[in-house]
Amino acid sequence: MSALSLHASRPTLPGAARALRLELKRNAVPMLLPLLAAVFYFETVRTADGFPPVWTLRASVIGNHMLFEFSAFAGGLAAWAGSREGRRKTLDLVATTPRAAWVRLSVTLAGTLCWLLFAFLAAVATVYVQTALQATWGGPPLWPVLVGAACVTVVAVIGFTAGVLLPGRFTAPLVAIGTLLLYEVGLRAQLGMSPASGTYAVLSPGGQPPMLDAGVYYRVPPDVSIVQVMLMGGIALALLGVLGLAAGIRYGGLRVALRALAGRGDDVRLRLTAAVLIGCGIAASGTAVALAGTAQPDAAGGWMIPALHSAASDRPIPVDRDCTSAAAGAGARPAFQVCVSQAFSFYLHPVASALTPVAAEIAGLPGAPAGAREIASVTGGQVVMSGITGTPPVFDFTADHVGSVFGEFYGLGLGETVQAWGQVFQQGMLDAFLAGSPPHAGGPAVVPPQFLNGPTPLGAAQQAVENALLAPFGWQPAIAGQAAGQWHGPALTGILAAARRFGALPASARHAWLAAHLSALRAGTITLAQIP
Amino acid sequence: MTATRARTPQAAPARRIPGGPRLAWLHLRSRSVPVGVLALALCGGVLHAALRFNWTFNSGRYAQLLPMIIAAGAAALIAMTAHSPFGEAERSTGRWLPYLRLGIAAGMTAAAVGLLQLGVVGMSLNEGVLVLARNVIGFTGLGLLCSLVTGGLLAWTLPLGYMAFCQYALLASWTSPWTWPGRPPADRGAWICACAVFAAGLLLFTVRGPRTRLSDDG
Repeated sequence: MSALSLHASRPTLPGAARALRLELKRNAVPMLLPLLAAVFYFETVRTADGFPPVWTLRASVIGNHMLFEFSAFAGGLAAWAGSREGRRKTLDLVATTPRAAWVRLSVTLAGTLCWLLFAFLAAVATVYVQTALQATWGGPPLWPVLVGAACVTVVAVIGFTAGVLLPGRFTAPLVAIGTLLLYEVGLRAQLGMSPASGTYAVLSPGGQPPMLDAGVYYRVPPDVSIVQVMLMGGIALALLGVLGLAAGIRYGGLRVALRALAGRGDDVRLRLTAAVLIGCGIAASGTAVALAGTAQPDAAGGWMIPALHSAASDRPIPVDRDCTSAAAGAGARPAFQVCVSQAFSFYLHPVASALTPVAAEIAGLPGAPAGAREIASVTGGQVVMSGITGTPPVFDFTADHVGSVFGEFYGLGLGETVQAWGQVFQQGMLDAFLAGSPPHAGGPAVVPPQFLNGPTPLGAAQQAVENALLAPFGWQPAIAGQAAGQWHGPALTGILAAARRFGALPASARHAWLAAHLSALRAGTITLAQIP
Repeated sequence: MTATRARTPQAAPARRIPGGPRLAWLHLRSRSVPVGVLALALCGGVLHAALRFNWTFNSGRYAQLLPMIIAAGAAALIAMTAHSPFGEAERSTGRWLPYLRLGIAAGMTAAAVGLLQLGVVGMSLNEGVLVLARNVIGFTGLGLLCSLVTGGLLAWTLPLGYMAFCQYALLASWTSPWTWPGRPPADRGAWICACAVFAAGLLLFTVRGPRTRLSDDG
C-alpha cells in the first residue's frame, strides 16, 4: 500500500470533530462514572423504588434526587476540565494554535458535556424503563428530563467557566460544594414557599415530591419547567459568551477584556458574538426571574405562571377507573364495588379485600356505602379528604388521604403488614359511616390546606362500636390512629369494655342494634353504658 | 555584575531559617496548604451564614443536610492538599516525606474541625458540634483513601459521593454505623467507623502517599 493510498483510504474527520473525539477519549468523566452510578443507585433508584409506579411521582426523583448528585459531579468535573490549561501551565503554549481560544475551550466543554449528558440520560432511562415495566397508566413526562438536562448543562458551564478563569486545585471541589449548597438552599426555600413569602423559589429544581396522584386527574402544567429551563439556559448562554472573552480576562482581567470587546481586531466577529450571547443570556434569565415572581398555586396543588399558563391544564382529565365487585352481605344485597383510577390499579384488590368485609358488616344500614372509589387528592386548588357522599352512598377516598392518614398510596410503611395497611381503609370508611353527618355530606370534604387536620374525631360510643366492628379483622383492642391521643384512663377503659361487650354479640344482634340506634349514635346521644 | 561591584565586600548573609521549618514551610506551600486553610475558613463562614440566615432547616433530619455537605466539602479540600506538583521525583529526596504528609493531613483535619466549630459559635447546630467533627474526620479519611487511587486532584470525588449516599441513608432512617454521617452523636458504632476510616486513610496516605502521575488525568 502506498502512502497515497493509505492517506486516501482513511477518511479524515473535520478538525473540530477530531478535537472532540480526542476530548471524549481523554476526559475525566468516564473515570468517575462508576462512582456516580453507585451514588445514583443508592440515592435515586432506591428512592424511586419506594414510590408507587405513577409516572409524575417517579419522574420527580429527577429533580429531587438525581440532580443532587449529578450537579455536584457535573460542576466539579467541568471545573476540572476547564482548569486544564491553567493547571498544566500550558496557556502560552496553546495560545499559538491557529484556533481561537473560544473554539478550543468549546471543544473541551462539549466533550465534558457529552459525557455528563450521556450519563444523565442513561440514568433517566434506567428510572423510566423501570417505571414503564410497572406502571399501569400514563406515559413518561418529558419536562423533568428537559429541566434536568438544562440543570446539568448550566452547572457544567458554570464549573467550566470557573475552572477557566480561576484555575487551581481547589476550584473543582469548591464548585461542587457551592452547587450542593445552592441546591440545598433552593430546596429549603421551595419547601417553605407560599404566595405571601415570594415565589422565586419555584426556580429551584429540587422540592418536595408532588401529590401521589399528580398528573392523573389534572395535567401537570409545564409553566414552572419552562421558567426553570429559561433561567438555566440564559445563565449557560451568558457564560458561554464570557468564555469568548476568557482569553482576555485571563491575561488582563475584566477591564482589558471589555476594552478588547470595544476595540477592532481580527476576531471582532467572535467578540461581538460573545457580547450578543451574554446579552441574550441575561435577558432570558432576567425574564425567567421576573416570571417566577408571578407564580400562583394552581388547581392541582402545584404552581403556575399566569403569563405561560394554558387554561386547558386546569380542566380535569377524564379518568378511566378499574373496578372490582364482591358481595357485600348475605342474601340479595347488591355487590360492593371498589374503583380506583387506572394509574393505581395495582392497589385495587388489596383495597377491595380490606373494605369489602367491613362493608358487609354494615350493609343495609342507613348511609352504609354501596361502594368505594378513589378520587382526586386536590380539586380547585384545595385538598380533598375522604368521606361518604352521594346517593347511593359511596365511600370516597384519595391517594393522599384516607381517614386521618396521609400518603396511604405510598404503599407499605417500614415494617407495616398488608393487613395493617388495609386497616387504615377500614377505619377511614367506618369513621365516615359512624360520624354520620360529616363535613362531606354534600360531596367530598373540601378543606383549605391550613385546616388539614383530618376528619372530626369520633365520640366515645362511636369509637367503641368502631373497635367492635373492626375486631374480627385483626383490629387491635387498643384504640389506634388519631383517637389514641384522645382517650386515656377511665374513658379509654370504658371504651374498651364497651367494645368487648358489643363485639361479643352475634353479628345479627349487632346489626339489629345498629339499625335501631344508628341515628342516636351518630348524634352522639348514646353513652357507653347504653351499648349492649 | 561589574568588576567594581564584584570587588565590593558582600553584605552579611541574611539570617537563614533553620532547615526543618524551612522544609516544612516549602512542603506546605507546594501543597497549597495556606490557600486550603483559607478555603476551610470560608466553609466555616458559609456554615455560620447558613445557620444565621436560616438557609437550612432548624430541626429534624433535613437540618443535618447542609452541615453534612460542608463537612464533606471541608474533607474534600483537605484531600486536595494531598497532590504534589513534583510527582515521583519528590519521593527520592529524603526520608521526611511521610512525616510531612502525616503532619499536613492531621493538621489540616484539626484546622477544619476547629474552623467549622468556630463557624457555629453562638448558633444552634442540629445534633451539635460533635457530629460535625465526626463527619469531618470520617470524610477526610475517605478523601485520603481516594487520593491513593485517583491522585490528589480528584480525591474530592469520594467524600462528596459518599455524602450524597449518606443524605439518602439519613432521610431513609438507616441505622448502620457505616452510614455514620447521619447517625446521632451518641452512636458509638458510628464513631468507631468514622475513626477507623480516618485511621486507615491517614496510615496509608502517610506510608504510601497519593498516586502521582506527571500528566494528571483529564
